[in-house]
Amino acid sequence: MKFYVCIKMVPDVNAPLQIKDGQLIQDADRMILNAYDASAVEEALVLKEAHGGEVEVVCIGSAKAAETIRKALAMGADKATHIQTSGDERYDSGTYARILAKFFEDKEYDIISLGKQSQDTDSGLTGSMVAELLDLPYTTNAVGLNAEDGKLIVKRQGDSGQEMIELSTPCAVTCSNDMNEPRIPNLKGIMASKRKPVEQIELSSMGLDDDALSPNTNVLGYEEKPDRQAGKKYEGEPDEIAREVAQLLDTEANVI
Amino acid sequence: MSTILTHIAISDGKIKRSSLEVLSHCKALAESGGHSVEAVIIDEKASSYVEDVQKYGASKIYVVQDPIFKNHMNTPLLKAFANVMEAANPFVVAFASTEGTKDILGALAANQNAAVLPDVSEFELTDGGIKAKRPVMAAKIIAQNEAKGERVLVSVRSGSYDLAENPTEAEVVNIDFSMDESELKSTLKEIISASGDTIDLNEAESIVAAGRGVKDEEGQNLISELASTLNAGIGASRALTEAGVYDPSLQIGQTGKVVSPQLYIAVGISGAIQHVAGMANSKVIVAINKDPDAPIFEIADYGIVGDLYKVLPPFIEEIKKIKS
Repeated sequence: MKFYVCIKMVPDVNAPLQIKDGQLIQDADRMILNAYDASAVEEALVLKEAHGGEVEVVCIGSAKAAETIRKALAMGADKATHIQTSGDERYDSGTYARILAKFFEDKEYDIISLGKQSQDTDSGLTGSMVAELLDLPYTTNAVGLNAEDGKLIVKRQGDSGQEMIELSTPCAVTCSNDMNEPRIPNLKGIMASKRKPVEQIELSSMGLDDDALSPNTNVLGYEEKPDRQAGKKYEGEPDEIAREVAQLLDTEANVI
Repeated sequence: MSTILTHIAISDGKIKRSSLEVLSHCKALAESGGHSVEAVIIDEKASSYVEDVQKYGASKIYVVQDPIFKNHMNTPLLKAFANVMEAANPFVVAFASTEGTKDILGALAANQNAAVLPDVSEFELTDGGIKAKRPVMAAKIIAQNEAKGERVLVSVRSGSYDLAENPTEAEVVNIDFSMDESELKSTLKEIISASGDTIDLNEAESIVAAGRGVKDEEGQNLISELASTLNAGIGASRALTEAGVYDPSLQIGQTGKVVSPQLYIAVGISGAIQHVAGMANSKVIVAINKDPDAPIFEIADYGIVGDLYKVLPPFIEEIKKIKS
């Protein structure tokens, strides 16, 4: 089974943030492999270990994204393609999807998988966009994958329950981080990753016109969340404070 | 004059309240901008919801009714939307941000060559599109976005707008739909439903959420008792859904559901940013945690520092007294 896993380098949302003149500043320029993509890589590796095949990762990003690609290779992916950008572009999900669709145009594969969203913007659009552009059957928010008779069986989290969906291949699937715990690369994996092939493609050489690359959404600026003040903390005899707060929820907050 | 089309989501035989919130907002936008607001219902029993949707001011209601829409499946849904778009030719299409919406929004945007902004907390119309606010970076900050195009799709977080009734006699337009099951390259094999009559967390007025501090059956029983006393939905942190203690559909946070009830009671939840991302917009937050330094207290209106096993019994008893 040939897997392509699309991965992305994202800022670590746990790092401190501030807004200066409407722009987002990260104190530490900590960039990591998107957690949802890490789950997609992990699940592809598990299926490869069970059924054989190949796992290739594809990453659109600046030169710095080489670290992100290395991480996926160290986890166990066989090879990688790095679609190089300058890093200054303001691409939106649609742009990423059009670049990926162009890349996949002449490729052969069984499954394209992606994280269900980026952990910085939480948009969750690219996966189903790629599927639509390539006219592939797809499903999103997968919490489990299985392969059977050339079909992909996906357990996905829906609105009120989990749905078991069978997709004929080739297909696309987006992965939740609830499906697994991505492996931490060990020393052997890290050493091996240095010998694995990483094909470099210049975005400008892919033949995409300005129309395809220009985003139709923009970030105008950032603002702080309306401040949520810490309220009162009640400490002491559990029986007393529990009853006191219950009373206040009725008389003060008016929510009971 | 252009058209704002609102999708009415149906779940378990009921209209999702969040869809009507979006319709209410679209009606207000349409009135101030001189646009028309229309609605679309795609369901196996779509016509039966027309009467209720009329209360919220749509001037035209598109109905796509077919047994195939009994359960969510993206292929037929996308086909139905394409048919409706052709008939309605909308400028803006607005959705409630449900899992069903998330499953199709990107594909629909690609299919329609539309600009799209998902999961916004506010939006307004501009000359050539929309402006919207979206929580980003695990909902730690708000991004102001714009989308431009001849067609713009937007999905809105539940609880972002109030319901506003505005009864209108709507024209009902039935859209033909047929799909041969053999066209489907994906099939729904089975639905593993969450147990029993759980309350939809996106619609719940009150939510009781359990975290790692809820260690055993005794703790879960206390959670259930508090929830039933308040007629609240039960939610859980990722730690407990991953451990299989609560159904995955009950997970609240960046990965799970984003909720904004009137009352949110976090029991034994420390308040990791990924969890807070899913509940920080609740109106009143109560936290019960034995660690006085737990980050959840930084956003709680009422923080009870104490062992939940000792706090909950008198808390429940007192609420029962108030309720009677």
